[in-house]
Amino acid sequence: MLEVHGLSVNYGPVQALQDVSLRVPPGQVTAVIGANGAGKSTLMRTLAGLEKPAKGSWSLNDETLTGKKPEDIVRAGVSLVPEGRSTIPDLTVEENLNLGGLWRSKARRQLAHSEVYRLFPVLEERAKMGADTLSGGERQQLAIGRALMSGPQVLLLDEPSLGLAPLIVTQILELVSRLARDTGLAVLLVEQNAVSALRVARTGIVLNLGQVVTSGKAKDIASDEQLRHAYLGY
Amino acid sequence: MTTFIDYLLSGISSGMIIALMALALVLIWRGTRVVNFAQVGQAMFTTFVALSVQTLTGNWFLALAVALIAGAVLGVIVQYLVLRPVKRTDTAGAIIATFGVLIALQAGAGMIWGGANQGFPQPFSTAGIEFAGRVWPFSPYDFLTIGITALMVVILTVIFKKTSLGLGMRASAFNPEVARLSGVRVNRMLSVGWAIAGVVGAVAGVLVAPVATISPNSFDLLLVFAFTAAVIGGLDSLVGAISVGIFTGLIFSLVSGYGDASNAPIVALILLILNLLFKPQGIFSHHKVREV
Repeated sequence: MLEVHGLSVNYGPVQALQDVSLRVPPGQVTAVIGANGAGKSTLMRTLAGLEKPAKGSWSLNDETLTGKKPEDIVRAGVSLVPEGRSTIPDLTVEENLNLGGLWRSKARRQLAHSEVYRLFPVLEERAKMGADTLSGGERQQLAIGRALMSGPQVLLLDEPSLGLAPLIVTQILELVSRLARDTGLAVLLVEQNAVSALRVARTGIVLNLGQVVTSGKAKDIASDEQLRHAYLGY
Repeated sequence: MTTFIDYLLSGISSGMIIALMALALVLIWRGTRVVNFAQVGQAMFTTFVALSVQTLTGNWFLALAVALIAGAVLGVIVQYLVLRPVKRTDTAGAIIATFGVLIALQAGAGMIWGGANQGFPQPFSTAGIEFAGRVWPFSPYDFLTIGITALMVVILTVIFKKTSLGLGMRASAFNPEVARLSGVRVNRMLSVGWAIAGVVGAVAGVLVAPVATISPNSFDLLLVFAFTAAVIGGLDSLVGAISVGIFTGLIFSLVSGYGDASNAPIVALILLILNLLFKPQGIFSHHKVREV
């Protein structure tokens, strides 16, 4: 289980995150929702080691991750799919995937490879092609596939719906939640698109101006009209 | 017509040398977005090291091997001592710092080996080969130069395209953040890049020294030519550096042959200006592909 305690992050004088605590249990999707600028991406980038927090700590199964470098955090089992489809267009599909597990033994990498191809068959068809030839949805699959190549216990998904057609968003999110249920993967999903996110998540956390407003069962948050009007804008 | 062919033939070797040095510049640029003007200084320094080994042992290939190792070590030293601390604050500052390293290396070499031009023994004959009844301006040593350059290109291609190390290095160059998120130790990859560039530069230095002379400043012109080739090739393209480098060598050989050798640097600058006016992204650049 990924546990976050009292995380605060500052960008200069701006407090992007303020005393955020949350838990990401295995086998399910935990959704963080909130408007633009609520601090969702900052949370994800900090957990992955890309931003330095001013205060707070986080750990995976009691192994502390605070202060570790991104490359060590991913090796510890927490893998981020950053916002904006983090594939490298100059590399082939296969190379993008290999990149995700470069530091692992060849046997483990091959195992992860076939697992990713089973989840996303289109990637196997396009293996030798440049990543720049993929469609938006395929690129998002590749980005998730790359993150899975490291054999993570926790998958951090930052805004996977960005720029994708609704049908494809639904497909990808349902695939991820099935993956969590089947393999025990813990998924932290950050979304502006609250409806889609809460549909696949068990737990929902509402973030506003860098603070946790409320958290609880995803179903309850989705049906709380006041909450929706105040923070989610629908 | 035979004159023209002669000029082209005598330009191939120098084209290979320019290509190697341009390749070294591109390797650094791709990884760090810094043009390493100290590259020729490093090559000069390692060539002097090679000369010392050669004088002591009389073995040219041993001298080459020592130069390669010295090139790798020196590359990493320059990166650690100068580039990393400066780059953390300022990229433009880092480029100027490479000039500082160049001057320091030249001064240091002057103190150790003296400022005079020194000859470098030739492992093979540099006299033209006689074939079909005439002497062509192409020597056994030119074959060696081409052979070693081709070997370097093949080795680098295999490393970059076929190995995990190469994939990590390419990913680090294209997108360091995604590389780090994938578990790649990007800083280590950059150091390997500096080491490889140092090796490539060292090869260029040791190959060019026997047909020229070596002094602390003897590679300054090579910097101008290699920089021109690297920029025209697109600065981030290895293929571009090699092909434009060889082409540049041929052009300069023609210019020197039909005109005067002292015109070559001016032609280099004219080529550079034309390139910046009409194709500023370079001929082989990746960015061009992305824009289309």
